[in-house]
Parts: sequence; structure tokens; C-alpha cells
Amino acid sequence: MHPPAPPGTIALSVVVPLYNEQESIPALVDAVRGALAELPSWELVLVDDGSRDETAAVAERLAAADGRVRLVRLARNYGQTQAMQAGFDHARGDVVVSMDGDLQNDPLDIPMLLAKLDEGYDLVAGYRKGRNDKFLTRKVPSFFANRIIAWLTGVRIRDNGCSLKAYRRSVLQQLDLYSDMHRFLPALAAATANARITEVPVRHHARRFGTSKYGLSRIAKVSADLLAIKMITSFRDRPLTMFAGGAVATVAAGVAIVVAWALLPLRADSPVERAYVLPGAALLAFALGCFLLMLGIIATVALHAPRALGGEPHPSTLAQAPE
Amino acid sequence: MNGSLVRPGSASAAQRRATDDPARGPVDVSVIVPVTERPAPLAELYREYVAPLRASGRSFEFLFAVPPERREAVAPLAALAAEGEPVRVVAAERSVGETALVREGLRASRGRIVVTLPAYYRVQPDGVMALVAAVERGADVAVARRWPRRDPLVNRLQNRVLHAMVGSIAGNHLNDVGSGVRALKREAFEDIPLHGDFVRFLPVLALHRGYGVQEVDTPQHPGDLRTRVYRPGVYLRRVLDLLGLYFLLRFLDKPLRFFGLVGFFLSLLGLITLVALFIRKATGESIGDKPLLLLGILLLTLGVQAVALGLIGEMIVHFSAAGRRIYRVRPLPPAPMQ
Repeated sequence: MHPPAPPGTIALSVVVPLYNEQESIPALVDAVRGALAELPSWELVLVDDGSRDETAAVAERLAAADGRVRLVRLARNYGQTQAMQAGFDHARGDVVVSMDGDLQNDPLDIPMLLAKLDEGYDLVAGYRKGRNDKFLTRKVPSFFANRIIAWLTGVRIRDNGCSLKAYRRSVLQQLDLYSDMHRFLPALAAATANARITEVPVRHHARRFGTSKYGLSRIAKVSADLLAIKMITSFRDRPLTMFAGGAVATVAAGVAIVVAWALLPLRADSPVERAYVLPGAALLAFALGCFLLMLGIIATVALHAPRALGGEPHPSTLAQAPE
Repeated sequence: MNGSLVRPGSASAAQRRATDDPARGPVDVSVIVPVTERPAPLAELYREYVAPLRASGRSFEFLFAVPPERREAVAPLAALAAEGEPVRVVAAERSVGETALVREGLRASRGRIVVTLPAYYRVQPDGVMALVAAVERGADVAVARRWPRRDPLVNRLQNRVLHAMVGSIAGNHLNDVGSGVRALKREAFEDIPLHGDFVRFLPVLALHRGYGVQEVDTPQHPGDLRTRVYRPGVYLRRVLDLLGLYFLLRFLDKPLRFFGLVGFFLSLLGLITLVALFIRKATGESIGDKPLLLLGILLLTLGVQAVALGLIGEMIVHFSAAGRRIYRVRPLPPAPMQ
């Protein structure tokens, strides 16, 4: 779609996902242009994530006026993760910087991110100092979420939610984003691409246009995603270990119940408890352990089957009648 | 010879596309008719639907995709082909469903616009032309909406209920997903993943893939007016289809969000039961003889199982995502040289 640039000619790609940001884009493009004036070569990849307003038209106009600004339009609204993935796929720079389209990030921070990257890192995450957001619905949940993410994944980033990040191209090439994984990009990059990661403080401005597209309803979703990312980052090469761990825990609980049952004094007033309830609970625990172990084996199938089965897709069983 | 039934002998024949044959250039419109249960007499059906297409002056072809058990239904078509009518039969080697038939029909077709038409009467023949015209005007997908409806209230009520459910699942406002009469741009059709028996949800899947879908009001065919009441098993399958669609659209790349929520509430229910029982035990009541205790433990177990299944789903998604892209980019208009 875009003419390929000769390799190595573009040092930096700035990727900005946009969803209904028609007011922000002109100022955004100006800010990026100003901030990167010193750089020899850069491009700005605007990704329109199926906006319902004039975002695409405004971006197209700006792209036509400046050859360094490019527009990628998604066929519908896919969400931020896919918009970022599309931007990464279309970026041609050796270094890629991602940024929000709402002007809350400041492009003036980009040179600092690049300098940090040059110190030998693969991913530099910004963290918002003096964050200008609602306290109770944004800052507090975000604080706990980041603590939990750091604890679960071992990647100590203060602010996973800050979009302003710089990546080496080689790292992005090893990532395939799905679901809402953009929130866990550093953890994912550490697990699948072995990326060296650090963070730097960045500016954060209050929202000038439009409204925030997030709310508290994210908590349930993020909790589920956290569990998933924990599994992916810690057990993607040995899922059986994780499920076996669960199996051992439940079987241990079952054994404990059996022991309690054996030690329970025979009393005249508790015949039912002794005869049925505790053995029943123990059997359930054993069954659960077996179930988890079998699931662990299925997880191993999921890990190996796509590659181990290999080969070409099977030819169709249907055929068109030839002449 | 067009219309002759020849069993292909090899996979290479199966994969050969009609367009590879230099004698057959592309045509304007391909009409694919999957020959499913209880087809109408196909030669008559063809004669009725071909008339407006022929009158419009467009080049076209009809492909009848047929599984082995319904070969005799397409036998009369050989005579049509012998008369020089552009009729072809796409023969399946084993019994397959409508989705596979449509897919193979598409593979064999060479139209720039591809129409799917049921093997029984749904809409007036002129309606098909209206769909083709809508695609020519720029829609990616045009779907016939049987309107005004003249069939019995029972049919319309079923249709309403189905589409209320589809609408709430898919977040769209389609009124007649099941009409089975659609026209699609070839590129869009080839790009929409069709698996299982999801061809009935083709417009929903097209929207999900980011294509523009237009509903075109089309008069109902007199042959479509009989009351349709099915066996209970058919309704059960519809419900399962909807459950599958719901999962496909909402949770395909995030199964743990679904199973995690289910597991969370099951475990919560189990925990509440157990806590309540222990409080009663603390007050001196005997709880060992209460079935509630086992219920609480069972719910807890089930909750753990649901979460574990969700984790398996996440595992499968993670490894299937490698090298694949979910999004689709909208082609840009040709840009002026900079």
C-alpha cells in the first residue's frame, strides 16, 4: 500500500492510534513536527481505528500536506491493541515510538526516550509524572493494577497504561498482539522477545479535547487479562507445570481432608459427617486434581500442535467438476 | 461440457480454479446455489431467476454446489447445460453442509460479484438484481431483507426473536440475516472466514470483518409463504449457533474474560454457601447432614474448572496468534504523487 522505504533510511516511526480525535490531530501533528525537527529522518504513522467522526478526513489532509505523515485506516473499530499493531506493522523506522492521540502525552519527551534506548535497552516505557486524570476512577485503580502487574510478571514498570513508549523494531517484530494486550506490552516483550526494559518519567497534560474512552468497568476485564498474562509470561513454555501445580494443591487438600476424617473422633451425634461429607469432599478434591492435570496435558497440546503437526493444509474434500 | 457431472480424480483438480482456464474469462455475476435439504425443482428455479439477470445484459454463471446424496436433484440441469445455458455443477465428494458448499462454489466461480441463492424460493427474482446493483454502487455486501412480509405471523415472530438475539449479540441492526440471498464483492467474500456452519451469519461476519453491509428490501416470493415450524432439535441447534456466534464475536481472542467471569461467580456462590454454613455450625447447629455443604464444595470446584478452561483457551489463542493479524486495513484511494 505504501511505497517501501529503502532500509535504514528512516530512523524513527511515531505510531499514534486515533479513535474519534478529529480536534486533536492538527495540534498533534504540529507538536510531533516541532519536537522532531532536529532528527534527520522520521515518519508519523496515524492509525484511524474506525472513527465515526472526521478523524480520517483530517488525517488524510495532513498526510497529503506532509510526506512524513502517513495514514493507515482500519476497516472498523478494532480497539487500541489492534490499532497499535497495525501501526507497528506499517512503521518503517528502526525505532518505533507509540503515543496517545489525545495530546496528553508530549512529543517533546521523544528525544529523551531515544537517548535512553541508546543506552542499551530494547524498550523504554514512559511513566506519567503529575498525571492529570481523575483520582478515584483513573489513578487509584491504575496504581493497584500496575503494582499487581509488576508483582505477577516480574517486569517492574510503574505505569503500564502510559502509551508513550519507545521500542526497537526487532522487539516489535517478535510480538503478535491480540485481545487488549497493549496494556501488558512490556511484560509480553520481556517474555516473548527477551527485551531489556527500563522506564523514564514523562510529561502528562490534561485532556484538551473530547472525553476519556475508559471507565471503571475495566477492572473485571483487566483482572482476567492479568491472569492470562501471568500464565503467558511465566508458563508459556511449560503450561503443564502450572496446571500440575494446581493439581498438587487440590490433591494435598484432599489428603488433608482424609487425614481429618481419619482423626475425627467417632461421636454418636455426628454419624453423617463422618460417613459421607468429608469423604465426599476429599473425592471431589481428587477429581479436581485429575481434571487439572488433564487440562495441563491439553495445554501442552495447544503449545506443540500448531508447530509439531506442520505440513500443508489438507486439500479440500470438495471439487469442481472439470470440463 | 458445462453441467456434466464428473468426479474429479485428484486434489490438483480440486484446487484448480475456473479462472485458470483461458477459455473462461471472468464474468460479471456468479450465482451460487447450495443444494441443501428439500430443494425446489432446480431447472424451474434457474429459469425463474435467470430471466432478470439475462435481461440486464450482464455476463453471468450459475453454480449448483451439491453433496452426493442430492445428485439426482441436479440431473435436470445437464439438459440446460446442453442447451448452452451457463450452468455448472460443483460436486462434493462427501456429505457436507451449506457453508462448505458455498465455499466450494465460491472457489469454482469467476464472477466479480458473487450472489448466494437458496435452492428454494425466498425472494422475487428482481430482488437479486437489486442486490447486484447495490454492490455495483459500492456496497461490499448487500443482503436481501424480505419486505414487505406476507408469510404467516409465526414465521415473522420467529424471525423477530432471532434477530433481536443476533442484534444484541453482534451489536448490529440486521433484519433478515437468514434470507440466504446476498450479493458480495468477490474480494470481500474470499476474505470473510467461513467455517463450521456459519454461512447463515454471513452478513454478521462481514460486518465483523469491517465490510459495509447494506440491507435491500426485496419482495417475498410466493413460494416462501408456508408456515415454518421445526422440530425442537432445530431450535436447539439455532440456540447453540447463537452461543457459538456470541463467543466468536465477543471472546474469540479473550476466552478467559468469559470463563473467568463464570468461574468467579460460581466460586463466589460456593464460598457464600460455605461461609453461611460455617456460621451456622459456630452457633452450634449440625451442618454435616446438610446437602448444602456438598453444593458449596461442588460450586467451588466448578468455578475452579471454569477458570482453568479459560486459561486453556488463552493458551490456544496465544499460540494461534503468532504471525496472524486480526485487523483489516481499509484500502486508501490512490494518492497523488508527492
